[in-house]
Amino acid sequence: MFSKKTKKILNSVPNHLKTGFYALVLGGFLISSAQAEGFSQRQVEVMAGSCANCHGTEGRLAGVVPAIAKRPAGVLEAQLLAFKRDEEPRATVMDRIAKGYTEEELRALAHYFANLDNK
Amino acid sequence: MSEENKTLSRRSLLKGVGAASLLPILSACGATAVSKGTAGHVVVVGGGFGGATAAKYIKRGNPAIAVTLIEPKKTFYTCPFSNLVLAGERSLDSIGHNYQELKEVYGVEVVHAYAEDVDPVAHTVRLSTGSTLKYDRLVLSPGIDIRWDALEGYDQAAAELAPHAWQAGEQTRLLRRQLEAMDDGDTFILSAPANPFRCPPGPYERASLIAHYFSQHKPRSKVLILDSKDNFSKQGLFTSAWQEVYGDRIEWVGLSGDGKVVRVDAQKREVETEFGTRHKAGVLNVVPPQKAGKIAERAGVTNSSGWVPVNPRTFEAELAADIYVVGDATVAAPMPKSGFAANAQGKVAAAAIVASLEGTSTVDPHWANTCYSLINPDYGISVAGVYRLENNEIVSPQGSGGLSASDADGWVRRAEAEYAVGWYNAISQDTWGTRL
Ligand SMILES: Cc1cc2nc3c(=O)[nH]c(=O)nc-3n(C[C@H](O)[C@H](O)[C@H](O)COP(=O)(O)OP(=O)(O)OC[C@H]3O[C@@H](n4cnc5c(N)ncnc54)[C@H](O)[C@@H]3O)c2cc1C
Repeated sequence: MFSKKTKKILNSVPNHLKTGFYALVLGGFLISSAQAEGFSQRQVEVMAGSCANCHGTEGRLAGVVPAIAKRPAGVLEAQLLAFKRDEEPRATVMDRIAKGYTEEELRALAHYFANLDNK
Repeated sequence: MSEENKTLSRRSLLKGVGAASLLPILSACGATAVSKGTAGHVVVVGGGFGGATAAKYIKRGNPAIAVTLIEPKKTFYTCPFSNLVLAGERSLDSIGHNYQELKEVYGVEVVHAYAEDVDPVAHTVRLSTGSTLKYDRLVLSPGIDIRWDALEGYDQAAAELAPHAWQAGEQTRLLRRQLEAMDDGDTFILSAPANPFRCPPGPYERASLIAHYFSQHKPRSKVLILDSKDNFSKQGLFTSAWQEVYGDRIEWVGLSGDGKVVRVDAQKREVETEFGTRHKAGVLNVVPPQKAGKIAERAGVTNSSGWVPVNPRTFEAELAADIYVVGDATVAAPMPKSGFAANAQGKVAAAAIVASLEGTSTVDPHWANTCYSLINPDYGISVAGVYRLENNEIVSPQGSGGLSASDADGWVRRAEAEYAVGWYNAISQDTWGTRL
């Protein structure tokens, strides 16, 4: 049912998030890798600015706080939505942060970080 | 006309017509056009959290814009994590950053000098080296200056005996040496100021980490916080963590309990409170009242509060066109005066400056903040905020932000202590790109 790449991505999703994640994949969100509509590149860059303060410039710094650059948009979006909806039991601060953005903004951020090197 | 004369004539002009009537004229001129054939020249004053970030992000936004960063220090020591240095948990070197990456990777011209004066009409900055720079847009991120006249007995000489250590570097080293030399059984007194001031949770993190140091090296010593206010940042989390981790080692006295220090005798390491109580310290740390860095005053962008009102969409100063001010110097409530916020504001100003030089429209600003505080190196708490613009006011979307849960499990406190370190590494990388 899923391509090899999608399966690999699915394996990186925590188990408790998988149900929601399947729904997203089936909903076709994973397939679209284009810039989410409604926000200019510059707008998303400004929105993404504060992410760098814990994830490094362009979200590329790996450490205790994970890098977010170039991770699949579907994975990032599912994770951000889980934070926003209090569906991530391991949340410490990202639940408080994600609630400050609309679902559309979170999706645009997910696409921005996923596609950083394909601008 | 020499630079000196220009400055003089501006001053007399300001006097003549009254600053208030001149300013709207300045603003009405709007953004001045950029010299033909160039993408524009931006001068940034201050290479701390706000200024270094603004310089880098202007270059990221449009590398053709010339950016000159003015900062006297070759090594910038961060206030964040300086409380760990005081506790002996980190070296001062480990919180030092230089300007190599800004120069080499981003092409920022870095001038190690002090900006003495700004002429907002002529669009010039005069440096301590004697030279004068012309700018199309100016960014000021000078941080704070101490109000040396606001607390009796606390002047620059007193700060050599009773350090503030509210600007990191020599002051941090001095306070650390005093703590090490202090006799076991003596009291560390911290005098905390009224709002607003740099880093609202800072004094209480400092008290925590010094209590941590005492618990290991001076078991009979105590920490006394004398506060000029009745409430402080993350108060509930701090108070219960202090109980849990330190028992009665930390005592906090608020304003209504006669906590307000009104007189300092630095020689004797003694303070006197509003109602005449005297306290003697083994080590005395005065966190004094503050205001925007002096250059903001010189540029004429501060108001009577001593801080700089800004247009929140762009962080351009309300009182002068083409001068953008970010960081601690600004009035940006509900955003706190934090390094995180200064960095976030630097990015918003950078985007606005790039857009104005390119003649495109400004995008909607977004900011966030997270201030971690360490109770000890394995116990972290935080306050977070997300900010956006609504009706030209900075607001936090409902339900977002807030404090670490008061009933959180132990793993959350440990994780937040680890994330504090992750945050420090990331913001340092994002701001300067370097560690010594
Ligand atoms: C003990 C303590 C702990 C803290 N912990 C945290 C924390 O955990 N998290 C957090 O987010 N924030 C923290 N902060 C707050 C943080 O340090 C400040 O909010 C931050 O430094 C503000 O950035 P800024 O750019 O406004 O000023 P600064 O970072 O102070 O930078 C200002 C720079 O401008 C330069 N300058 C000033 N005037 C001139 C001039 N005329 N010409 C040229 N250069 C000039 C100065 O040399 C300085 O380098 C803490 C503060 C303290 C005191």
